[in-house]
Amino acid sequence: MRLNAPIPGGNYMSDTRNYAWHRPPDTVDYDEAVSYLIDKIDEPEEKELIFAMLGIDAHITTIVTTLLLQAVSKGKLGIDLAILIAGPVARYIEISAKNAGVKYEMGVEDKDRVVITPTLLKASMGIIDEEDEDEQVIPEEPAPEAPSEGLMAMPEAGVVAPEEEQTAMLGGVDEEEPEDEL
Amino acid sequence: MTFDEAVKKSIKVFVKGTMPMKTSELVEDGLLYTPDFFDQMEEELLDEPTDSKMAKEEELEDEA
Repeated sequence: MRLNAPIPGGNYMSDTRNYAWHRPPDTVDYDEAVSYLIDKIDEPEEKELIFAMLGIDAHITTIVTTLLLQAVSKGKLGIDLAILIAGPVARYIEISAKNAGVKYEMGVEDKDRVVITPTLLKASMGIIDEEDEDEQVIPEEPAPEAPSEGLMAMPEAGVVAPEEEQTAMLGGVDEEEPEDEL
Repeated sequence: MTFDEAVKKSIKVFVKGTMPMKTSELVEDGLLYTPDFFDQMEEELLDEPTDSKMAKEEELEDEA
């Protein structure tokens, strides 16, 4: 029987030092870590990339996450410190975007959240006020007058089309029986 | 909580003007990159009052 599972003890054979995040990070100081990322953002190529991402409506939170994950994967920062410095990095990108006149969106607002109002709450609970019911009565609009002339004019009262015409209008035309050619 | 969610939460808190307390206690002289530092930087660069500063002023006015 073959099992789709890791080989027991396989972890003792692999060299985990290959991964940068398995070693102590290069930077553990808050200010030093923020400085490192600010310097990185200020590089012309990086700045172009960030503004291009903002140009395609990427949120600043997404950009910050990408930058932090890059730094963590390179072993520059630990994951905890990366989360701590997310705020300053996002703020710096925001200021840079404002300064350059680039349209941006932070991505921390809950735009899809439904605002709970008394009316919404009543509707969800199935409560309908009498006042509301009275308000819902739609007044009848006067019907437009029928045209007296032209194609759409109403026929005079008592005028009825002959029976043959009515049958023809309903598609009941008597078809002549085809004569035998032979 | 995923890494993305943690980053989003961290940014949200920082933008509101809150700093991680225990991290601030680690340095005697205080941290350099605080919300006030970025507010000041924004003012200098853009010559306009920042959103967080305006919110703080409004809060002070309401209290008064």
